[in-house]
Amino acid sequence: METRPLGDTGHDSTVMTFGAIALNWLEQEGADQLVEHVLDYGVNHFDVAPTYGDAELKLGPKLRQHREETFLGCKTQERTYEGAWRKLDRSLNRLGVDKIDLYQVHGLEYDEELDEITGDDGALTAFREAKEQGLIDHIGLTSHGDPSLILDALDRIDDLESVMFPLNPVVAGKDDDEYDYEAVLARADEKNVGTLGIKAFAGGSWPPTDELPEADRPFANWYRPVTAPDEIRERFDFAAAQGLTSVINAGDPKLVTMILEAAADYDGMDEAAQRSLIERVRHDDSPVPEQLHH
Amino acid sequence: MDVPQTVTAALDDRSVAGKRCLEAGAGAGNATAGLLANGAARVYAVTNDRDHARTTRRRVDDGGNDGDDDNGDGSADNDGDGDRLAVLEADLRSIPLPDDSIDVITAHGLCNVIDPAALSAIAEELSRVAAPGAQLVVDDYDPLPDGAAVGELFALENAASELARGRPALTFYPAAFLRRFFAGHGWKFQRERTLLEPVPWTESHVSAHADRAASMAAECPGETGDALSATARRLAADIGSESVGRMYGLAFRLPE
Repeated sequence: METRPLGDTGHDSTVMTFGAIALNWLEQEGADQLVEHVLDYGVNHFDVAPTYGDAELKLGPKLRQHREETFLGCKTQERTYEGAWRKLDRSLNRLGVDKIDLYQVHGLEYDEELDEITGDDGALTAFREAKEQGLIDHIGLTSHGDPSLILDALDRIDDLESVMFPLNPVVAGKDDDEYDYEAVLARADEKNVGTLGIKAFAGGSWPPTDELPEADRPFANWYRPVTAPDEIRERFDFAAAQGLTSVINAGDPKLVTMILEAAADYDGMDEAAQRSLIERVRHDDSPVPEQLHH
Repeated sequence: MDVPQTVTAALDDRSVAGKRCLEAGAGAGNATAGLLANGAARVYAVTNDRDHARTTRRRVDDGGNDGDDDNGDGSADNDGDGDRLAVLEADLRSIPLPDDSIDVITAHGLCNVIDPAALSAIAEELSRVAAPGAQLVVDDYDPLPDGAAVGELFALENAASELARGRPALTFYPAAFLRRFFAGHGWKFQRERTLLEPVPWTESHVSAHADRAASMAAECPGETGDALSATARRLAADIGSESVGRMYGLAFRLPE
């Protein structure tokens, strides 16, 4: 599988990152098998979080067996110094490892949170201490919030080495600033910060729960994913072709093999085909009256 | 107002900022949106279709009024787009603009709805309003490959149009044809690029074409019209959506 430099970290990540949230819906034996399956494809970057049910615990055994082959990303939603330390200790324990390669501020959403994590008593102070103590190697940040907030974070956090954010043909077709994740990608590239793409496989929202109760949804994702092999492939190709370092799989374990196949076969996507995909998605969800043309 | 990627790609090597522009055949105002976003001084959106005129006006009024500088380039697009746009309801064979008054002309998805006879008259008129040194952008579709399912729907649309109005509804001119055609009208060819490949004919496009075929079939006499209309509906349901063919972008310049 193709690898790309993850910013200045010195690590070359495979163009697909294994989102270990998928393990949450499997029993331990199935979880072990999925990790072996992912490793068989050569995937070398794993991502997990304490909020993904018991994914950390289920990842643990195979992660420890293959620790040398994997670059491990984990994250915390804590914003304070104390909270971040507590969650880091907990994740190290649950994963059963001595070190996390990339520790990320998870799901930044509000300006106040950016103020808080960058303050003296903020999470990043804990991150930096942990880095000095060799418990983590690199600092990252994840957000599906406003792109302008991520741009601010890139400007304000000097030792940030990766950012994780949504990128797919739906957002790429929208011009409003609130969808301008391409600007985040461009700024991160300028600063040589690694870029990790999420929601590459998002097809849209689930129907309202009175139409489709949560228990009747066929996939575990909180959004409705694309699920046909061809769609998965073109969504992967699109995300990888934007220049992201690595694309994270959709969380549902049923989709992981298709995404691995797409990642293993990735060999670029020409611009006319990228536009074709954006245009198709735009018309699926267009407020403009029905049009004859593109 | 989101600018389609086709328009963005067609305009990204064109000089639009501060220019007087004409969107020939406004449709939903897609090229108008792109010209305004690229800083056009003024855009004349010309269409002979009242619904299209209204759609174009509404899109521009709805978009760009959020007070943000969406371009990130400092160009004022808040509250300003409406002032820079004039939607003209007119026939492109007689454009209500003076000679030599336009710097940039777009024909985005226009030529395929123009039959050959009308195309010549429109090209004459575009050359008339274009100022020396003006740019012309022509974006359209190559003929569909054999076996394309949407080809059957378009053939039916053409049959209904021929019977009802005596001319085809759609003509997919090859890129090479329009290149030579506009060269024959004095435009110097600059470049060709592929805007979409494959072209995504979504359910929304397919049903829009089926609606148009049905409305023209309704103008056909008796049983023929009914049969064409029913077939259009059936084809649209069978096809659903299809990604096939190529949309190209041509750019020309008028000698100084």
